[in-house]
Amino acid sequence: MARGFASNYRIVLVAATVMVSLAGIALRLVHLHVIDRERLTSFVEKVRRQIVVEPARRGDILDARGKFLATSRSQITLGVDPQVLRAEDESKWPELARLLGMPLRDLETVFRTKVRPASAVPTVGDAGGPIDLDPADAEPDGGRRIRWAKLGEGIEEETYERIVKLGVRGVYAPPRVFTRAYPSNDLAAHVVGFVNDEGVPVQGIERWADFYLRGQDGWRESEKDGKRQELAQFRVREIPATRGYDVVLSIDSVIQHKVEEELARVVAASKPEKATIIVSDARTGFLLALANWPSFNLNEYRSIPATEMRRLRNIAVADVLEPGSTFKIVPAAGALQEGLVSIRDSFDCSLDRIEYKGRMRELPREDHRFTHPLTLSEIISHSSNKGAAQLGMLLQEKRLHDYARAFGFGEPTGLASIYPEAGGLFAHFSKWSGSDITRIPMGHTVAATPLQIHYAMGVIASGGELLRPQVVREIRNAQGETVYRFAPVTRRRVISDGTAKAMTTMLARVTVQGEGTAPVAAIAGYEIAGKTGTTQKLINGRYSSQHHIASFVGFFPASRPELVISVIVDDGHGPNGGTGYGSTVAAPSFKRIAEQLIQYLDIKPGGAALARPLFALEGGRP
Amino acid sequence: MTHSAVTTDSVRPRLSLSPVAVIVVCAVALTFLGITILFSASAAFKQGPLFYVSKQLVGVVLATVVAWVVSRVDLELARRYIWVVGGVAALLLVLVLIPGLGISVKGSRRWLGFGGLRFQVSEIGKLAMVFCVAHYLAANQTRLADFWRGFAQPLLIIVSFAALIVLEPDFGTAALTFAVGVSLMFLAGARWRYILPAVMSAVVAFAVLVIHNPNRLRRFTAFLDVEGNKQGGTYQLYQSLAAFAVGGTEGAGLGQGRQQMNFLPEAHTDFVFAVVGEELGLWFTLGVVIVFLIMFIAGLVHLRRAPNLFHYLLVAGCLLLMLLQAVINLGVVTGILPTKGMSLPFISAGLSNLILMGMILGILVNTQRSWGKPGAGLSARGLEEVTA
Repeated sequence: MARGFASNYRIVLVAATVMVSLAGIALRLVHLHVIDRERLTSFVEKVRRQIVVEPARRGDILDARGKFLATSRSQITLGVDPQVLRAEDESKWPELARLLGMPLRDLETVFRTKVRPASAVPTVGDAGGPIDLDPADAEPDGGRRIRWAKLGEGIEEETYERIVKLGVRGVYAPPRVFTRAYPSNDLAAHVVGFVNDEGVPVQGIERWADFYLRGQDGWRESEKDGKRQELAQFRVREIPATRGYDVVLSIDSVIQHKVEEELARVVAASKPEKATIIVSDARTGFLLALANWPSFNLNEYRSIPATEMRRLRNIAVADVLEPGSTFKIVPAAGALQEGLVSIRDSFDCSLDRIEYKGRMRELPREDHRFTHPLTLSEIISHSSNKGAAQLGMLLQEKRLHDYARAFGFGEPTGLASIYPEAGGLFAHFSKWSGSDITRIPMGHTVAATPLQIHYAMGVIASGGELLRPQVVREIRNAQGETVYRFAPVTRRRVISDGTAKAMTTMLARVTVQGEGTAPVAAIAGYEIAGKTGTTQKLINGRYSSQHHIASFVGFFPASRPELVISVIVDDGHGPNGGTGYGSTVAAPSFKRIAEQLIQYLDIKPGGAALARPLFALEGGRP
Repeated sequence: MTHSAVTTDSVRPRLSLSPVAVIVVCAVALTFLGITILFSASAAFKQGPLFYVSKQLVGVVLATVVAWVVSRVDLELARRYIWVVGGVAALLLVLVLIPGLGISVKGSRRWLGFGGLRFQVSEIGKLAMVFCVAHYLAANQTRLADFWRGFAQPLLIIVSFAALIVLEPDFGTAALTFAVGVSLMFLAGARWRYILPAVMSAVVAFAVLVIHNPNRLRRFTAFLDVEGNKQGGTYQLYQSLAAFAVGGTEGAGLGQGRQQMNFLPEAHTDFVFAVVGEELGLWFTLGVVIVFLIMFIAGLVHLRRAPNLFHYLLVAGCLLLMLLQAVINLGVVTGILPTKGMSLPFISAGLSNLILMGMILGILVNTQRSWGKPGAGLSARGLEEVTA
């Protein structure tokens, strides 16, 4: 710059400074745009991306008649962003407060508190890590602008709609959540089960059928702006939630209710430790009722004290007991099936010991003294221990073992795993002791669940087949269409139809006055087949004469069985505080239930004459 | 005043190929880019983009009028009334400090308003400072080696303007004013041994001001670790950096940017360049830098023809006002410099910025017109100054 008034190098220096700065900025731009791109972009993705989950509604659990046993209620929580309130909406506040049912003064307090003081700002999250707070909401003094303050929970859909119509800006509800409700409270509690507060199905059908009930959460994938509001124009994906399927049970609320009433009566009368009543369809194996005591209210499972957790226990499937005399159907049916005996064959039931495989075996004691030889039929109807032992000896270890297994002892029933099921204990015959051949036939040293005992009797009722216990009838979609129907499942044929008929005839004598152990279970005009059981409980390793498990397992009408009913009372007491025998504690309950169900289900004495299925598989009631 | 504005244009070349023409074309291009990007940048704002774009268009029209008027003014005449120019600017800078008159935004009282329009007074102040300092240095060009007349007095002028701006407070503009003023002293030939201590003490003073104010200090320390403070103090700066990254080389596309959706502060004004970065990508951001570079080079070429020291310093001052402001803005937005409110010439939305740039362009066109005339700079005053 050849000028007299300004030196050249000075302008060059200034110009060079500016140009170097510009070059520096250009380099920085290349760095930001290209070189450092990935790292910075990942941060932005995280900040911008927004996935809003729309929870799916869990399906309902219905009983056989369509009554709700479990359902989902949508729950609306309402809150306010005090930062965006408009002054012109202030006139609507009183109406809003009225709709919410809160004093206007409280509402105003919430609305006017816009900043949380620094002292109240949490710095550490629940997980111990730093919490994610929007820096844009920071106040210079360290306080924080409130962006969400709760106004109310569990708001009715209708109220919510009116609040929306009121249109107070800043008042809004996040996506609704569903809460599980059990309209029938404690009805069939152990079968229905429950979902805990974390949404995890804990037990019962809730757990087993979770796959069907759960549904598919929907979501909205979009971007949010710096104020965390959704940018709807950048919504990439919107998947609506899919409602879960409904599960229809074979449980009939009415029957279940009657059964639970009866259970309550048994409990009140005999003060047992626990008790179970099971009712199932004799021909299909579907459960109509299953009740345990103690039980609980599904809506209040949270308030069960820790010491009372046993109330959650599904005794019918989880607890094992010695079946006792009800097990005698196994050696009897086995010996008949094998052609080792006929109904009229008689046995000397006054012997104390008998020779078996070259050794004298001691026979178990009897509660009664039988002075004359007992026929097979009488062994069953009088429940002779010595007779049962001799039947076992006729069968010998292997066949007795195989028949017991065939009747379902020692293996889980395969009931939809509504509760961790016990398989029971039934040792392999190679492990039996010398006395087992005389004790197992009377149901000792066998451990079985009430459900196993029930379905073993079901073998006789069904004409010789072991059925799988089932409780789920069908799965329905949101439109009420049947998606899947569960058919009756036969696990195996155990005995022939003829043997079953013969067994039925003998079991029907049990309730005949003057012949059987349980005439109390008799119902005029109906042939009731069944078997009592009274087992001494093992207390501290010894059989106690004070503590018994009383049971009555039976079915009717004998000529064409429709219902199998089991009543098992653990450590109950007879009338006047006496021993709780199967005949005094369990059999009367059986009768009362049977009488009610005869009326309710309109069961004719002949049964067979009607030749109609108890329940149409279509799920409707006859 | 022999060469008045009414002289015919026959002797000088048309604007077509002159350096100033290049600058004007560049300015128009940047302004056009600014309006385009404003559409997206203000999309998330309450009043909507049309509100901002129409406001900006009004600003462009006003700036054009201002540029035209300034380009026709006789600069020698303006020099005669230098006290008026400096006095009015100083008065405005004082007025804006008075509560009730000055409009305060976020704690800074920087604006004077007429109706719906607001004007940032320091923009006038900057230019007036350049004008006054150029005039003073030209008038005293033979005494520049003298401490009092060649250094202390011009520095006093600069510092008075800068001080008034600091009071608003507006440290960025004050620093820019000071830097441009001292550059002019340096260009005029002030001694190194005066300039260097002055710059040093200014840096120290600035440092003291920063350290003294905890808020400012926090912002500065946060700047030193943008990454570590991204959830806190530098969240917004980090959003700006991220915008460039998202844009990549190709850009997200016009209207496809998201950072202005409440992530970026001042997306349409101070941080508008980040929106350019996100929506248009590397080629455009580099393009903007290159356009500024072209403008600067063209300005330097133009400067070679300056007829006297006053014109030389005036044009150099105008160029520096434009370029330094651009450099500071780009430096802030790309995270090289600590965050300072400074608009990007021609591109940022805002009336004040446009008017100032209009004035600067007006001065450049004015000089382009007058320098081409025979005997330019050979006014009586010019001769006096050289021989004084």
